[in-house]
Amino acid sequence: MRGLGELEAAVMDVLWHAGEPLRVRQVLERLDTGKALAYTTVMTVLDNLHRKNWVSRELDGKAYLYEPTLSRAEAAANALREVLSASGDPQAALMHFVQSGTREESELLRKALRRKASKK
Amino acid sequence: MTVALALLLGCGVVGALAPRYLLRLSDPVVALVAWLVSVLAVMATSAVAMLLLLLPDHGLGLAVLTAVHDCWQSLQHGTTPGIEAMSGLVGIALLTGLLVRLAIVGVHSARRRAAARQEHLAVLRVAGRREAGAHTTLWLEHDHPFAFSLAGKPGVVVATEGLRRHLTPAQVDAVLAHEHAHLDGRHHQLITIADAVAATLPFLPLFKRAAAAIREFVEMAADLTAARAHGVEAVTGALVRVSAHGAPGTALAMSGDAVEHRLIQLRKRPHAPGPARRVLTCGLAGATALVLPGTAAFGALFAVMLLTCPSG
Repeated sequence: MRGLGELEAAVMDVLWHAGEPLRVRQVLERLDTGKALAYTTVMTVLDNLHRKNWVSRELDGKAYLYEPTLSRAEAAANALREVLSASGDPQAALMHFVQSGTREESELLRKALRRKASKK
Repeated sequence: MTVALALLLGCGVVGALAPRYLLRLSDPVVALVAWLVSVLAVMATSAVAMLLLLLPDHGLGLAVLTAVHDCWQSLQHGTTPGIEAMSGLVGIALLTGLLVRLAIVGVHSARRRAAARQEHLAVLRVAGRREAGAHTTLWLEHDHPFAFSLAGKPGVVVATEGLRRHLTPAQVDAVLAHEHAHLDGRHHQLITIADAVAATLPFLPLFKRAAAAIREFVEMAADLTAARAHGVEAVTGALVRVSAHGAPGTALAMSGDAVEHRLIQLRKRPHAPGPARRVLTCGLAGATALVLPGTAAFGALFAVMLLTCPSG
């Protein structure tokens, strides 16, 4: 595990797997990063994730309970949408396997493939 | 003066006509090399032309011309050195200005793209499952089969779980190989360069069409690389299935032609040439592209001399 970004990903992974709100201590116990992490590190990461709106938290007694604001699928869809509709020139920032498709386009492609298949 | 004008003319001819021939090259990697070297050659040759205007002894080092010096003198009459030096200076200034602008635009857009990439990566890293490999792959929990690559140090591939759900394992491998080819071939960087060239020097087809042409070549090159590793069937099948689903939140320009074009190209040329042969053809194409503007210039000059100078 390198960098804060990857630690954030690992923490989110734990929360998504848990399926229930977790305390910092519980997140720490379930983290499998290959090396021991300090309680305060995990707390900082969760704090960052909360600031970035990845998790919501609720006071339960003295400690916070953390839970993802979105499901993993929702987060994935948001991330994709954000990347694809980024202002400026997203086409240059990333290269798609194919850029996009409409019904007519895919019909065109199926035709192209049928031609190919019939040639054999 | 004549040599300089001939060189500029050679640049103009290559800049106007080269795209027509470059687009016909069957190996996209050779086409990439030839196009980029042509751009470089036209720039360098016009710089040489400007310098020749400035140099007092502009026949210097041109053995061919010293041999026909008399003829050369007769062609040259009527112009004073003052005009030559002036036009040389103006030309150099113009060229320097354009090159500086090219550099500024290039660096600026490279930075902007890097910043956008960092922003995207920050979100994608958290949302995706990381899979280590030659290139890190981030798998997103999403049903649309979709994949793309982000440049950077190191570059990453982003793919959706839908890819595994809707495509055969061979097709998934083909898609990933295609994206790896983009990263290995530094295709993102080539596109940044081509975009800067097209944006700052939009007066010759060779420059103006660079952005679209290089985009097309890199896709075809990546297709061929993927086809070599996983078979043409896997690549074409993946192309159709992925495009049939469409990108989620289609905010990007349509490129249906591009996909069909790629299918046709793959059918026409399903196998990439071996590495040795490819290096050889790339070298040949590059060398040809490099000397073409100059060769065209001297060819034209020679023809003019033959026509205008009486023999003996």
